[in-house]
Amino acid sequence: MRKRRSDIPIHLALIAIAAMTLLPFAFVINNSFRRTNEQFHGFFGLPVALKDAARFTHAHLSGHPDRIKLGDDVVPYADAMRHCFSELVFGFTYAWGIFRPYMLNSLFVSLASALGVVIVASLSAYVFSRYHFPGHRALFLAILSFMMIPGVLTLVPSFLWVKQLHLLNSYSVLILPYIAGGQIIAIFLFKGFFDGLPQELFESARLDGAGHFQQYWHIVLPLSKQIIAVVVIVNILSTWNNFLWPQIANGDANYAVVASGLYLMSQAQNVANADKSTMFAAYVISAIPLLILFVYATKPFMQGVTSGAFKA
Amino acid sequence: MSDHLGLYALLAPTFILLAVFCLVPFVIAFATSFFDYEVGGDAKFIGLSNYLEYFHDYTFLQSFANMLLLTAFSVVMVMIVPLVVAKLIFSLSSERASYFYRILFLLPIVIPNVAVFLIWQSVVYSEIGLVNSLLKAIGHGELARGWFSDPRTSIWALAFIGFPFAGGINILIYYAGLTSIPDSVHEAATLDGATGLKKFVLIDVPLVMSQIKLLVMLTIIGGIQAFEGIYIVTKGGPGFTTTVPGLWMYFNAFKFQRMGYACAIGVILFLLIMLLTVINLRYFKTTEQLQGQV
Repeated sequence: MRKRRSDIPIHLALIAIAAMTLLPFAFVINNSFRRTNEQFHGFFGLPVALKDAARFTHAHLSGHPDRIKLGDDVVPYADAMRHCFSELVFGFTYAWGIFRPYMLNSLFVSLASALGVVIVASLSAYVFSRYHFPGHRALFLAILSFMMIPGVLTLVPSFLWVKQLHLLNSYSVLILPYIAGGQIIAIFLFKGFFDGLPQELFESARLDGAGHFQQYWHIVLPLSKQIIAVVVIVNILSTWNNFLWPQIANGDANYAVVASGLYLMSQAQNVANADKSTMFAAYVISAIPLLILFVYATKPFMQGVTSGAFKA
Repeated sequence: MSDHLGLYALLAPTFILLAVFCLVPFVIAFATSFFDYEVGGDAKFIGLSNYLEYFHDYTFLQSFANMLLLTAFSVVMVMIVPLVVAKLIFSLSSERASYFYRILFLLPIVIPNVAVFLIWQSVVYSEIGLVNSLLKAIGHGELARGWFSDPRTSIWALAFIGFPFAGGINILIYYAGLTSIPDSVHEAATLDGATGLKKFVLIDVPLVMSQIKLLVMLTIIGGIQAFEGIYIVTKGGPGFTTTVPGLWMYFNAFKFQRMGYACAIGVILFLLIMLLTVINLRYFKTTEQLQGQV
């Protein structure tokens, strides 16, 4: 019954809004390929190395190898292109040198936390979903009530507490609280999913003599790949983004993660007023792991971010 | 009974972690707020003094005003921009195009928050950044300035970080709301002669009211707590023009070592959030739980 009408005005409006949204980031990507001195000459413009490469390629293809010059020297085409490439990725090479440990720390912390959350939360959710026992309702509500505690209240006391526990400057000061906090929404998500699994599966398994844990291990987990993916993504997103806690709890730069490492880098850059291309390259690098995850698992990613919205 | 013991054992990791890393800090927050306490020094019980002192703090009025402005601004934005974009996407006749745009607008979420703030600082607002270049390009170079260092513009420069506020998950949440509106509602409205904007305001907006309430509530709760971006970009300055209570809490704890005072500020913010949550639950219909429908 819908009246047919053209979508073109809608496309134009959406593209305009998307362009405005993405413009600063497109700019970052472009300038991450430009040396700092280029950026001081003009903040806008394509990378010189890219223009050079195009010029050299044109000269090469049109049979003017004498026009392929680096400085005043005529050089072979391959050498010239190699030079352009290393100029192009200079910022990345340099940034990666500083950034690699932060990246590895973040990967380790995020994956370990996600794994921990999946194990702890799925076990609890399974128990809440499948069994009735004294205190069932009260305990479940107790877990959910922790969602009401805002981060701003616990930031400072958490620091005082982990300091007393001698956990400062370690991986566990990140991973353990991340599991503790991350499991709450995960239990909620897992329970919702487990509640929907057919009861008969469990009946037959129980008749075969499977205990609590066997049922969880052999029936529940294999059926839950989808929801596990969602929970993992929700967790990686929040741990990857977390800045204040790593910044406070790990003053030692050896334990810095991507978020706190970026900040450390930016502070050092401000002081030295040094390399812009390095900083831009670092921003790009910092987004790549989640970008890969996003491309590789778009569906659970989209599901995960909307369910994560509850975590106030 | 032994059967139940096994179940409790499976629940133990959850409750131990919650107790150690969530409950204990929660209790410490309140307890410490009654003490004059520096790390390494002696704690002295001072009753409500921290609270009373905060209400007379020289940053108190300005920081709450700043928080209110930033939060109100994000609330208005979250009610308008993502909803309009979601409606535009929803109006597309091609399902593939609609999916493409949903992904495109979600894409910025892969960039870490810290990077977003630093990018806005160094790309958009810097001396030679996008805003100043744009002003020069349209012949208003005299308006160019250090947007964060000018006390007249610093708070607004902060508020506009993220402009046009379309990226991220909010579009998906509104979109999910729009898809749950039955087609028959639209058809009936069309038969009644409602068109375009009128249909949007009279039909769509009331029907996604639960999504609007959810996002407004989350934005308010987030706005009361948010100071990470301010910490990264302006450190609350120049002067106290961009200081918010959360940031002042942070500085008191980690710069001035006044842990008791910082905890008291945290408790006040917590009570404010609880008050708003209770009002929301009491006087507005509860927000429906919305499970990733995309």
